[in-house]
Order: sequence, then structure tokens, then C-alpha cells
Amino acid sequence: MTDHSATFEAVRAGMIPAHIYNDKEIFELEKGRLFSRSWQFVAHESEIPDVGDYVVRRVLDDSFIVSRDSKGEVRAMFNMCLHRGMQVCRAEMGNASHFRCPYHGWSYRNDGRIIGLPFHQEAYGGEEGFAKKGQTLLPAPSIDSYNGLIFISLDPNAESLKDYLGDFAFYLDYYTKQSKGGLEMRGPQRWRIKANWKIGAENFAGDMYHTPQTHTSVVEIGLFREPKAEKRKDGNTYWAGNGGGTTYKLPPGSFEDSMRYVGYPDEMIERMKETWSPEQLKVIGENGFMVSAASIFPNISLVHNWPKVEEHSDEVLPFLTLRQWQPISENETEVLSWFVVDKDAPEEFKALSYKAYLMCFGSTGMFEQDDVENWVSLTNTAAGSMARRLHLNSRMGMKIDGSPVVPALGPDEFAGPGEAHVGYGEYNQRHLLERWVDYLEREPNEVDAVSIGGLVRGNVGGTTCDSPCGDATTEPTSNQEAVSR
Amino acid sequence: MTTYYPIDGGRSQLGGYASTTVRAGATLPFDDARHLQAHRWLVDETYMLDEQRYTDWLGVLTDDIHYYMPVKVTTALGSGYDTAPGMAHFDENKYSLSRRIARFATEHAWTEDPPSRLRHHLGNVRTFATENEDELVVDSAMLLFRSRGDVREAAFVSAGREDLLRRVDGRWLLARRHIAVDESVLRMQNLAIFL
Ligand code: FES
Ligand SMILES: [Fe+2]
Repeated sequence: MTDHSATFEAVRAGMIPAHIYNDKEIFELEKGRLFSRSWQFVAHESEIPDVGDYVVRRVLDDSFIVSRDSKGEVRAMFNMCLHRGMQVCRAEMGNASHFRCPYHGWSYRNDGRIIGLPFHQEAYGGEEGFAKKGQTLLPAPSIDSYNGLIFISLDPNAESLKDYLGDFAFYLDYYTKQSKGGLEMRGPQRWRIKANWKIGAENFAGDMYHTPQTHTSVVEIGLFREPKAEKRKDGNTYWAGNGGGTTYKLPPGSFEDSMRYVGYPDEMIERMKETWSPEQLKVIGENGFMVSAASIFPNISLVHNWPKVEEHSDEVLPFLTLRQWQPISENETEVLSWFVVDKDAPEEFKALSYKAYLMCFGSTGMFEQDDVENWVSLTNTAAGSMARRLHLNSRMGMKIDGSPVVPALGPDEFAGPGEAHVGYGEYNQRHLLERWVDYLEREPNEVDAVSIGGLVRGNVGGTTCDSPCGDATTEPTSNQEAVSR
Repeated sequence: MTTYYPIDGGRSQLGGYASTTVRAGATLPFDDARHLQAHRWLVDETYMLDEQRYTDWLGVLTDDIHYYMPVKVTTALGSGYDTAPGMAHFDENKYSLSRRIARFATEHAWTEDPPSRLRHHLGNVRTFATENEDELVVDSAMLLFRSRGDVREAAFVSAGREDLLRRVDGRWLLARRHIAVDESVLRMQNLAIFL
């Protein structure tokens, strides 16, 4: 395989070799070293509220059943039959107490345990020949959640999600914890774009600079009052932990004034005051910054914005969305886009917020349409040989000696954690790609295979199994901590 | 057992104002004057959409139009639904459609500049009477071919539609459109177009 060290070095210097946005080898590295280790969002608990509810979600090529088992615990199980590998669940969502494999009829409870194995005695000589008791569909190597957002990692030794998010959790709360009731997430809309997955993540992480140009039309048709160049320029970009985003600068006023300005009703504002920490309130109320777009490394993005959605009213209405840039190949991405709303919000608010989301983001969103046009075009161009000669300048906000054009905000100007800069800059895009290099430079994980029901001991053909595989216990023998309700 | 779940406008949080007129009886014969009128209306509309005469298109929609395309999901047989609860691609009233159309006139709707080349292939048109002589329900199948840019692969969307046509002052207008898309994952970079 090619030595990519020159590419990585250039990225660390803020000069981005254009071919990374459409390069098969780079994509293989991403699969083996990044997506096999990082935390990947799979579902929100509100998508599987009741016992037996499930959704099927992928991490690249791997399909997982994310279910709420009969005890109310959330589980993520590799969607492949232990017998001959058939996909156990072929629906995308539903409610089931168990899953039956269509090939030979093995069946599994919604916590993954085998409950039926036809002709167990005749075919295997019963429990002695094949210890099925306690065997489960392969659990996701790691599972964890934050504010009901369920993530899995293919790395069994993954750090906790909280550690992974780090200080970004402070900002994630603005999107996903507007009350103690938590979230309602609907969707996702799913569609495929011929663009590299990194571009969306970078754009949402920090590209305030594109707004006045790319999104002129939505201001012109009277949908937005904000994205005028001035307003955007006065906002900041912050980076903390494993994520970062952008804010708008609001007109002076209290926390309540600011939340009303973007369209929240008073009862929601009251709940936010009870839910958020004094620092979280201070960022909005005293510093005058309101979060807008953000990304969590590597491929989750969030949006908060407030268009005008009704004909006979000048009021704006805020909406939230969470989206995943699911890589299909070096030049294709499946976008999964959810509408997000506070579960305790009034029904009328929910309806208008949903309307605002549909008009602006998602498969039909007027904002998003123009974004994707740019990303598809960029990806196309990045495939050619000239793109191998071009290093894209991603050094905005930084002088030639690396010092910032505008110094970072001090603690009295910005109460949020991490580093924040007012104005246009590509700090966050650089942070994101630096993290990306960190992962791609690490050797891939050694993975242990698991043999089910057999008696393979020791390291056989890459299989590591020190005890007879398949201890007879009645509880799932998963190495995962189920996420409790 | 059913393998076909008709789209239920009642699942839309926004469509409560829309007409709930339903079909009555079997399909109208193909030589029935009502079918001929409805079919002609759809063919003319199809050309209008291909030519992207969107302002004209807005003129053939009633003020209470509900233009609705829920998100299709793959579910087990007998689960009772095949669209995502509370989520759609389009869930539009006349105002939101008018904003989408106004955007194309701004010169800054980059996604349609250069414009897509569109061909809506219309077929399987069948017409049903309703209890109201000024309203007809029309089903049709639609395959949309969309070519974007000179080197990119063309994209397709296949869908079934159920329309409600209403006669207002002697003209037929579209009062409701339910679009049943045939794929859970759209293979198109956006729906900046209409079906
Ligand atoms: S592959 Fe599933 S039972 Fe045989
Ligand atoms: Fe954008």
C-alpha cells in the first residue's frame, strides 16, 4: 500500500491534498482504522420506545439489530445468523419478541439469545454436541449512550462514549437535552449522494464562510433573517473534545430574550433553564451566542436554525436535526437525517418545527439541496490526476506562522469549554481532519474471532478462545454492557 | 394479508386541513368522459413538470393542497405499515410549495443551475368517481429520470401517486397528492424537483 505520510503531514499543516475526497486507498484505510474504532451512532432510544421495538442500522458494511429487549434493555446485535450466516432480520424497523432465521429456522430472542434450534438433538446430539444455551447473536463489541443517543463501536476496548465526546457533551446538550423528558427523534430520511462523507462533516463542523454564498436563495425568499454575511461573521466557531461547531451572535438580551428571539415558547425556555448548567445558560444569556451547526467526529452532524414557516406570521420557529454521513465508498455517502424535537414540547410547536425542518434540511430541504450540489461537484473533481497535485488551503483564520488572525475568546467572553474564535476560520475543519489523521496513522486493531457452540480452543486460524466457547449460562454472554432504559 | 398499505394522510402532522374525499366504486371505464378529462390533466401536468414551468404548476393547485410523500420503510409482512411514523420527504401546503418555487426564481438556487433534465414517465392511469361530482381520485405510476451535469450518472425515482382532482370554476385543479415512493433510500442527491 502507498505510503500516505506526505498526505498526512500536509493535512496537519492545514493544506489538504484534494484527492483524499475521492481515493479508494484512503477509503480502505478509513474502513480499517477509523470506522472500526470510533463510536458510531446507531439510533436514539425514542426510536425504540417499547419492549420489542427494533431498528436495523449499519456501520459501513455491518448490519446491526438495535432492539429493546423484553427487560427493557437496549441491545445491538450483529445481524448475521450464528449458523450459516443468513441475515436474521430483513426489515428495517418493527416490533418483535424474537427473530427467526429464514434459512434453517434458528430463532433468537430480542436480546440475541438462541431460543430455537430445530432438531438440536438429532442434528448435533443436543447440548453436549452444540452448547446453544446462553449463546447470542454477536453483540456489538461496545455499546454506550449519551442523552439517549445510542452509539456502538467495533472496538471492544473503546473508551467510554463520555470520554470520547469529552467537552463536546456540553454543546451536545443544547441539541439533545432541552428538558428532562429528553428527545423525540423521527425518521430518518435516507438518500444517497455522490459525495465523500468527510465533506459534510467538515461543512457542519465549521464552515460559516459558505453560508452567505451557498444559501443566498433562502434569505431572498424570506425564509431566514440570519444568514446575511454580517450576522454569520459575528458568530464563533468552537472546538471541544471530539467535536465542534458554529454559533450565531444574537442581539443583546437575557437568556429568555435570546430563546424567544429564535422562537421558543416560554414553557420550553423554563424547562431549559432547569436542565442546562449555569455555564450552558451563560453562553446564550450573557455571551449572546446561539449554537447552530456542529459535527461529532467522525460522521455525525447537528443543526439548529430558525426559519419563518408560516405565511401570515413573521415569527420564526426553531428546528433541530441530527444526521449521519454513512460512507458507502470513497465517492458515495448515504445521508440519514432525523428530525429532532424536545419530547416535552407543545404539539403545535412540534408540528411547526417539523415543518421548518422539512423546508430547510433533509432530502427536500432548501438549505441542504445547495450544499449537496457543491459536495458532489467537489468529489467528482477530486478523482482526477490534477487533484493529486493540488493542496487545498484550509488555513483560514491562521496567519502564515500559525498564529490566529483573531485571538481565541477569553473565559469572560465565552463560557463554553474548548477553544472558540469569532469570525470566519477553518479551525474546526482542521481539527476534524487532524483527528482523522490520528486514526489513520494507527495500526489496525487485532481482532479476535469468536466460535459459537463449538470446542475450538486456543488460537486457531485467527480465532482466540481460551475456554470452551459457549458457557452454559442463561443470561446473554455478551461482553457488552446493555444500555439501560 | 396485505402487501400494500395505502398512504394515510392522517399520519401527517401537517395535513389536517386537507380534503379527505375518497374514491367510490370500481375504476371508471377508459372511455368515460371523466377518465379522459383526468388523464388529459395528468399528461398536461407531466409536461409542465418536465419543462419546469413551476409558476404555472402552482396555478393548477388548489389553495388547500396537501402534497405528501412519506418516507418508505421496509417492514415485515403484516406489521401494518410501511412508512416511517411522523416523517416525510414532502409534507407541503401551498405556502411551502410556493417558497420552493420562489427559490428557483432567485438565480441563487445552485442545485438547479444548470437545471436538471427531467422526464416524468407517466403510466397506469386509472380514475375513480367520488361522492362529489366535482372531485375525482386518480392513480398513476411515475418514473422520473433526472440527469444532472454532464458527467454524472442519471438518477431515477419510481413512485405511485394518488391524486385528488377538484373542479373549480370549470377547471380541474390538484387538491391532494400522495406519493408512494418505491425505495426506502432515495438514489438521488435531493428532491429539488416535484413528482
Ligand atoms: S443460516 Fe440461519 S438457521 Fe441456518
Ligand atoms: Fe450549508
